[in-house]
Amino acid sequence: MKSYIFKIKYQAMLVWLATGLVLQGCEVDNIPDPNNPTVESVLNNATVDDLNNLVVGTEAGMRNFLGTYYDNMGVIGREHYRFSSADPRFTADLLGKGSSVLDNNTFYTTNPWAGRYRVVKNTNILIASVFNTTLITEEQRQGYLGFAKTIKAHQLLMNLTMMWEPGIRIDVDDPDNLGPFVERSAALDSIALLLEEGAGHLAAAGEEFPFSLSEGFAGFNDPAGFLQFNRALAARVAVYNEEFEDALGFLEDSFLELNTDFNKGVYYVFSASSGDVLNPVFVAPNSSGEIRIAHPSFIADIAPNDDRRSKVLEREEAASLDGLTGKYDVALYKTNTDPIPIIRNEELILIYAEANIQTGNTLEAVRALNIIRQGHGLGPYAGSVTQAALIDEMLEQRRYSLYFEGHRWVDMRRYGRLNELPLDRPGDDVWTTFPKPFIEEAF
Amino acid sequence: MKKHYPLKLLALLFWLVSVTAYGQATVSGKVTDAGSGMALPGVAVVVVGTTTGTSTDVNGNYSITLPTEQGRLTFSYIGYESRTITVTPSITTLDVQLTEKTTSLSEVVVTGLATSVKRTNAANAVSTLNTRELTGITSPQTMDAAISGKLVGANVVANSGAPGGGIAMRLRGVTSVFGNAQPLYVIDGIIVDNSTISGGLNVVTAAANQGNASNQDNASNRIADINPDDIETIEVLKGASAAAIYGSLAAAGVVIITTKRGTSGKTLVDISQDVGFTEAAHLLGVRTFTEERVISTYKDRPDLVEQFIAARDAGRLIDYEEELYGNKGMLYNTRLNISGGSEKTQFYVGGLIQDEEGIVKRTGYEKKSLRFNLDHEISERFDFSLSTNYVNSIAKRGLTNNDNAGVSFGVALSSTPSFADLFRDESGLYPDNPFAASNFLQTRDLMTNEENVDRFLGGLTLNTNLYNTTVSSTRLVIRAGLDFYNLKTVAIFPRILQFEQNGNQGTSIQGNNYNLNTNFAAFLVNDLSLGDDNLNFTTTIGATRENFNQDQVLTIATQLIGSQTNLDQSSAVTVDQTQLPVRNKGLFFQEEVNFRDRIIATAGLRLDKSSNNADVNEFVAFPKFSLAINLANFDFWTRESVNMLKLRAAYGEAGGFPPFGAKYTSFSPFNIGGSPGIIVPIQRGNADIKQERQKEFETGVDIGVLQDRVILEATYYIKTVSDLILVQNVPGSSGFSTRVVNGGELRNRGVELALSATPFDLPGFKWNSRTSYWVNNSEITELDVPPFPLGGFGNTLGTFFIEEGKSATQIKGIKGEEGVVVLGDAAPDFQMNFHNFFTIKENLTFSFLLHWKQGGDNINLTQLLTDLGGTSFDYDDDDDGDGVPNAAERTAALGVSAEPFVQDASYLRLRELGLYYTLPTAFLEGATKGIVRQVRIGASATNLFTITDYDGYDPEVSNFGGNGLSTGVDVTPFPSSKRYFLHFTIGF
Repeated sequence: MKSYIFKIKYQAMLVWLATGLVLQGCEVDNIPDPNNPTVESVLNNATVDDLNNLVVGTEAGMRNFLGTYYDNMGVIGREHYRFSSADPRFTADLLGKGSSVLDNNTFYTTNPWAGRYRVVKNTNILIASVFNTTLITEEQRQGYLGFAKTIKAHQLLMNLTMMWEPGIRIDVDDPDNLGPFVERSAALDSIALLLEEGAGHLAAAGEEFPFSLSEGFAGFNDPAGFLQFNRALAARVAVYNEEFEDALGFLEDSFLELNTDFNKGVYYVFSASSGDVLNPVFVAPNSSGEIRIAHPSFIADIAPNDDRRSKVLEREEAASLDGLTGKYDVALYKTNTDPIPIIRNEELILIYAEANIQTGNTLEAVRALNIIRQGHGLGPYAGSVTQAALIDEMLEQRRYSLYFEGHRWVDMRRYGRLNELPLDRPGDDVWTTFPKPFIEEAF
Repeated sequence: MKKHYPLKLLALLFWLVSVTAYGQATVSGKVTDAGSGMALPGVAVVVVGTTTGTSTDVNGNYSITLPTEQGRLTFSYIGYESRTITVTPSITTLDVQLTEKTTSLSEVVVTGLATSVKRTNAANAVSTLNTRELTGITSPQTMDAAISGKLVGANVVANSGAPGGGIAMRLRGVTSVFGNAQPLYVIDGIIVDNSTISGGLNVVTAAANQGNASNQDNASNRIADINPDDIETIEVLKGASAAAIYGSLAAAGVVIITTKRGTSGKTLVDISQDVGFTEAAHLLGVRTFTEERVISTYKDRPDLVEQFIAARDAGRLIDYEEELYGNKGMLYNTRLNISGGSEKTQFYVGGLIQDEEGIVKRTGYEKKSLRFNLDHEISERFDFSLSTNYVNSIAKRGLTNNDNAGVSFGVALSSTPSFADLFRDESGLYPDNPFAASNFLQTRDLMTNEENVDRFLGGLTLNTNLYNTTVSSTRLVIRAGLDFYNLKTVAIFPRILQFEQNGNQGTSIQGNNYNLNTNFAAFLVNDLSLGDDNLNFTTTIGATRENFNQDQVLTIATQLIGSQTNLDQSSAVTVDQTQLPVRNKGLFFQEEVNFRDRIIATAGLRLDKSSNNADVNEFVAFPKFSLAINLANFDFWTRESVNMLKLRAAYGEAGGFPPFGAKYTSFSPFNIGGSPGIIVPIQRGNADIKQERQKEFETGVDIGVLQDRVILEATYYIKTVSDLILVQNVPGSSGFSTRVVNGGELRNRGVELALSATPFDLPGFKWNSRTSYWVNNSEITELDVPPFPLGGFGNTLGTFFIEEGKSATQIKGIKGEEGVVVLGDAAPDFQMNFHNFFTIKENLTFSFLLHWKQGGDNINLTQLLTDLGGTSFDYDDDDDGDGVPNAAERTAALGVSAEPFVQDASYLRLRELGLYYTLPTAFLEGATKGIVRQVRIGASATNLFTITDYDGYDPEVSNFGGNGLSTGVDVTPFPSSKRYFLHFTIGF
């Protein structure tokens, strides 16, 4: 009898235990993302800290896939070779080797493109957030908007330089309902308009930004300074759009200085700090494997005494791959944390020269070109002062002054001179544009 | 897991028995193998319900005195089915035959979370591997290697030959494109983690170009930690029709592992030692350079021509492939097994010390494993089973696979000619390799890439008999499992390395990965027998909980101080942390009905909730039904020669979770100028994401003839996966690159045939054989997103391509004027294996496993890299005789056609071969006076030969690791190896 009761007790306890397991919180707790803040968290009543994180992320994101972008521009523009023992497509597809063509679904097409739009998306979220918070002042709001629209314009322009023919999308606010592709000229107009709006916001943004930018914006990190950066970009857009009078106007409000302070400007900066990235195009001299070799024409064509020769460095041993050989390393950057220019005074002087050539002020153009020439150890310009001759000279100075900064291919293209770029192997091609990314076709 | 069915054979004995007697009884007899008649020494003989026991002598003879005049005797022996026989006073001599566990139909297979059924009554084709098949031929390095080529219906691909394993396992075809495609592993009721956690090598190799996500690091899967020698059986539930009981965890199938347990009787001690060596299974060879070839390959480089001439004249042309991969590694395994116990308590202890070198110097695998399993009957009402296992393993895996920095062994090797000088000079320094970013000899000698695991597995099952009557019994099963490990990954690239000097100036990447899985379950199981045992019901109701916690912290330190490796000895540190918490709760109900072993029907339902689902508190239901009809058990069946004819059909559903975090759209951190920043993620979240749902129907017939001497199991299945989870590529202009969506349906159809036979079963010669054939065809039957490529390197080089109406594993690429076309398919046309065991004169066993994979293509980029690097062994040959050398022809295709890179990867491989000799027991008895029970010596080999036309290290390869469907991408992998062993086992 006793043992019977004992048994029942055990039984009851075990059944209770089992039931407990079943019933004990039949609910499952919703686990919020344990790893990252959600996008929704900044869209409602964001604090200055939230918005500043977006600003920093935006500036940081501008550097994504920059290495691929400079390789695309430089290799097609015959400024350098990108030798890669791991990826043959740099020397095949980009140079149009044999019957190779640019693929619409390969990293060189898709990665920089998506990288820039990722920043555009961040600026769009920043713009939406500042309109949906009561925790900032009106001046602060204007500051955020001025920053966001200027950077957005720059990022769109970067993509347009690759997608010269298919054009780009301007309206990308709603990922489920993307705006149409806009062809080049209209896209340039839209970018110019964005810069114009940005300039308006910056003018109303007071003395200080509520956020701080990196060292890359030193001297341009308050509304007034940032406005000069905005106007410099506007000048670049204007010459791309062949609106040369406008370009001269924008330059006046930019940081243009007609002197040899060529490197004054705005930069991408790099560091080895946590969550940061290193200069993606730095390669130590005389490396092998993954290297950037100056196109032989750079040294073949450079004038004696031109100090821009220092942008390349003779190798101890020549490098060869895939039927291509070069003796010089691209050596613009000496360490893996050297900054890369976004836009600098040397380009502004050259834009000034170009706009003056195109608007008939040839003497003023020669004066600007001579600042460049003399600043690099060359004598004053001694050639003909016809518009055609000066365009040749201007393009040549841009070639050396802006070497490996992503301009050569764009310049030769806008002047219809891609056929003047040298071909290294029979069957090589110079591309006019990157194709529209495969996935964009489907939407 | 108890057997519910009386052994029919006993009926005969009962019939013989008369009932009266008194006092003690002594019984003696001989125990033999049921097939060959060979005497079995060391068989435990125990009187049920007492601690009285003995074991058979060398001639299989025993004698035991029962404390009462009648009782029951249990005969148990490792590798054989145990038998319990009732002894009556009239019996004084009892000769017993034990049946070896092979494809034995009396074994049980899992049907529920707490129930099982005799294989003869099973409605599913559950693949089972036992000890003999797993580890009986040779000593596999890891658990995953132990199953390669052995499972019918599975496509198991080793990712590389790197020490420590790593496999991609597909059960009945691809079941998910982006979700979890790897099966669930359950060991003694413990849900075991099988993550593949990257060591962060991407920082150095840049294989994934940007970001931390990298699946090209050749990491191993954590199932590799399990000691294969501890395993008694592996049962594989290949699809939802069998695996529905595991609900949302089961979409890719379930691998149920049961470890060895003790049996009551004499304590058995077995010590075994393996000594062996390993070498590369196949090396590609290198190009033979001549002066002309140097001139033509290295244009405008007279310096290299001089270097070549100097090297040639000095006899210094080096085969660097041999130098790198030519190491003969020593293999040592020491195992200790102790098992035994009393009537109430049984234990099993398994110990392993493994120390294996790899085919590359400074690579290898070390493991220490200790298992303790305990079974104890507390009282008639309670019993419990405990399984515990501690494992410490170190895998040193080298630096292989794809990279974009030119630093991995194979990529650097591919562009290094024989006249380069890479050897260390007298001062101990290595010259830079001018032909690549890395001097791979320096890298090999100075780098570290290790996975260090400390793991504890613990499982406890408590059975309680709640209520027993003559027709009904109810028991409560409570089960808890725990899987804890810390995986420390250490990847160190000292500052002095060629590529570090030009780059990060010393990199130390250390990962600390904490994993704790716990699972709990409680079941009430009722067995009800009606109508004189004619109708049996088994009812199960229960609840399950699973808590999975994983916390991965990866710290990357660069710019190291001197030769220091600690993370703080650096000027730059970045950290990445990912937490993966998952909470699941489920309810389970199942009813099994058995009508006289003639008709067996099952219905079950599992209801699951999970924190992984978009709606965490919505129950997701997974039903299953099955029916088996044993025609041969009906009265009308008169054909004696066919003793079994079973028709069976089963249907079930299972789920697959979306990848962790798919429902969130969350910012990624991205800093600049020392300030913290956030940027939109690459992947856009989807708050409406649903589980994948797999529905499988399988049907088949099992035929046994000549008293099961020949058994044929034939199965057809059709399996669809709807709400297919896809990482859709979205336009980059949206700011995102991908999004996880439910967007399609995938169908697999296949046939599995398994023929088990014992062609000879004579006293002097016994031959067991199993031949299997399996084929699977997949098709994307519906795709709601645009067709997309994945798991390759784009159309130029060939890529997998998901497209409606096409095979899920098709490979597409450019082909000249034709544009992008189908170039191949990674899925094999069919696979076969041929598994054989011979026993000659009782003492000599010989066994081998042949595995044939027919068809299935790889994307071979190793060959392309060696062609481009000018080092292919057949660079200058002209196989098709058109006057254009091979390499020129293949590289000319680059950018024009991907066809040359998509290559047939069929093979016929002798996976395992073993020969063992067991010393005659009579001799041992005499020589050691009975102290030594058995001595066995043997020799074995793994991958002795592979016949293939494939131009790579191994047709079995996967650059992208185990998940996803893109196996077969070949980018300078760690070459696979052959293994040769001598074995010695002594038992007491």
